[in-house]
Amino acid sequence: MNEEIRSMQAAMERLGYIAEPAIATAVYLAKEMQKPLLVEGDAGVGKTEIAKVLARMLSTDLVRLQCYEGLDTQTALYEWNYQRQLLRLKIAEREARDPAKLEELIFGREYLLERPLLRAITRREGPAVLLIDEIDRADEGFEAFLLEVLSDFQITIPELGTIRAEHVPLVVLTSNRSREIGDALRRRCLYLYVEHPGFEKELRILQNKVPGVNEQLARTITRFVQRLRARELRKLPGVAETLDWAQALVRLHRDALDAETVSATLGCLLKDEHDIKATGGEAVDELLAYASAQE
Amino acid sequence: MGGAHGMVAQLARFAGALRSCGVRVGLSDEIDAAAALTLVDLLDRAEVHRALRIAFKLPRDAWETFDKLFAEYWDGRRAPEHPALRQTQPRDRRGPAQWRWDGERVRLAVPDEPQEPQGEQPGYSSEAVLRRKPFDQFSESELAAMERLLARLARKLATRRSRRRVPAVARGIVDLRRSFRRALASDGDFLRLARRARPLDQASLVVLYDTSGSMDAYTRVLLAFAFALRRVMKRVEIFAFNTTLIRVTRMIAPAGIPQSLSRLAAGVPDWSGGTRIGRCLTEFVALYKQTLIDRNTTVVCVSDGLDHGDTELLESSMRALHERAGRIIWLNPLLGDSRYRPEAAGMRAALPFVDHFGSAHNLKALEGLLRFVP
Repeated sequence: MNEEIRSMQAAMERLGYIAEPAIATAVYLAKEMQKPLLVEGDAGVGKTEIAKVLARMLSTDLVRLQCYEGLDTQTALYEWNYQRQLLRLKIAEREARDPAKLEELIFGREYLLERPLLRAITRREGPAVLLIDEIDRADEGFEAFLLEVLSDFQITIPELGTIRAEHVPLVVLTSNRSREIGDALRRRCLYLYVEHPGFEKELRILQNKVPGVNEQLARTITRFVQRLRARELRKLPGVAETLDWAQALVRLHRDALDAETVSATLGCLLKDEHDIKATGGEAVDELLAYASAQE
Repeated sequence: MGGAHGMVAQLARFAGALRSCGVRVGLSDEIDAAAALTLVDLLDRAEVHRALRIAFKLPRDAWETFDKLFAEYWDGRRAPEHPALRQTQPRDRRGPAQWRWDGERVRLAVPDEPQEPQGEQPGYSSEAVLRRKPFDQFSESELAAMERLLARLARKLATRRSRRRVPAVARGIVDLRRSFRRALASDGDFLRLARRARPLDQASLVVLYDTSGSMDAYTRVLLAFAFALRRVMKRVEIFAFNTTLIRVTRMIAPAGIPQSLSRLAAGVPDWSGGTRIGRCLTEFVALYKQTLIDRNTTVVCVSDGLDHGDTELLESSMRALHERAGRIIWLNPLLGDSRYRPEAAGMRAALPFVDHFGSAHNLKALEGLLRFVP
């Protein structure tokens, strides 16, 4: 394995993110090739966390753009501070100043409200990490616009001119696959698909994030969740759910799992009525028997 | 591999093999892959594998193909000619071609003499009597009428308001930015406010097509329906299924419909074979529910519900679709026959989840569909 990828993996781990080689490789390639990284996978597998850890690892700012349907350039890029401009105009009326100078003044940088995309490319102290979260929720029109920003890293504001990136930010896009991402955007990025973690990885994450849980319980919890994911469920529990559940068990001062505790706390893992009903008494018994068995 | 040049050539061959297996890989992806290979340890097979998967931007459903080809190409076990390359040769199993490209659109050409069915008759012969084929006797004017009808249907489907706002006249919320720019012209006074409103958004449509033997008479003309929809709507996905599920949307590029048809014939295995609706729908739900189906999607399933497979699978996948999709329309050509009752086990399992159950044996039936689309 490439030395730098290995050290990348180790650095992520030091910051509490257990990264598989695939994740470390993707992050390394994105950084070296200066390409955005598109991360897809089920909810709760730690997609957003990649960007957060990356920002901490490079000790830089994390600029986050949360996407939603109807997101427009005014929220994503920049907006003029109209109120302030208007106020300035009203004051200027009394001063009777040169209109050209006045216009130059009110369309200056201090009347510009920077939104995430602009903020990410204008960071002076080195490249920022730009997280564009849940890109699948924004509409196709926004995706096309993003394409332009991500290829040139420059933004044209008609009144101000073109603003070029001081440093090209490291871009991480995440998607829950609620909509297929357009080919053009996908092409522009490197692509990483994150799967639910295997037993060893999940166990390490659990011990890392929930220190209060004892070794035996951590193993049982992990085996239980791994087995649960193999069942026919509508919404599979992610790592986030495993951690919630472990935390709940620690709060309840449980050292071991029993059927009653599991049934009472199943809501931490399963967030769908149908799934909870389908995981009734017998299923819990079967899962528990499997989870408690020694490997 | 013989140096950097050999590596690039090998990469190009590999990308070509991926393409011939239906994985969409572009030139820019190859360039990315080549760049990625310069950054990783080439002696580490697993790392090369990971890096290529990342740089080629392969979605989860293409991993299997990738893994197979990777083993062949990079472990030196490459077959002289990849079987997938041979499969791209058109193999027309549909008998005499009925489609004609007249330079403007695809038309169904009616043979002068009725064609005798050739080869083995597809399954379910006891139902054969139900299969009157009114679509087979289409005239030019009827085809034109159908296309007009389809255009109307498509317009009706486009009724959702978008959440984005675009400039509008005299309605919607005030657009400060544009108002302000206008005000500058009149010395800072807001004489007229600019506004933004939500435009109409296009709904999306997913068409699931049964191409099995028992549907043979209808498949071709109903595919014309799908072609026409694709011309007028932006978000249409078309799938064909019989014993397996095939995404045919990209096989029918609007630019080259004659080629599309031969590609379609080559790409859909088992054309006119039996059906496993349940298994195919389950596959559809597993692979595409997330990305293709949402509240604004109308799912149109065209099938006679005669299933070789398991009705439990059909039921669970229909339930999953019903939960996520805006509307499910099931078109059953057999319904046109007055003697038909939806008693096939598959049909019975699917019906509780269907919003509109209609026939599709002739134009009038398709026209009736318009009433169910708001």
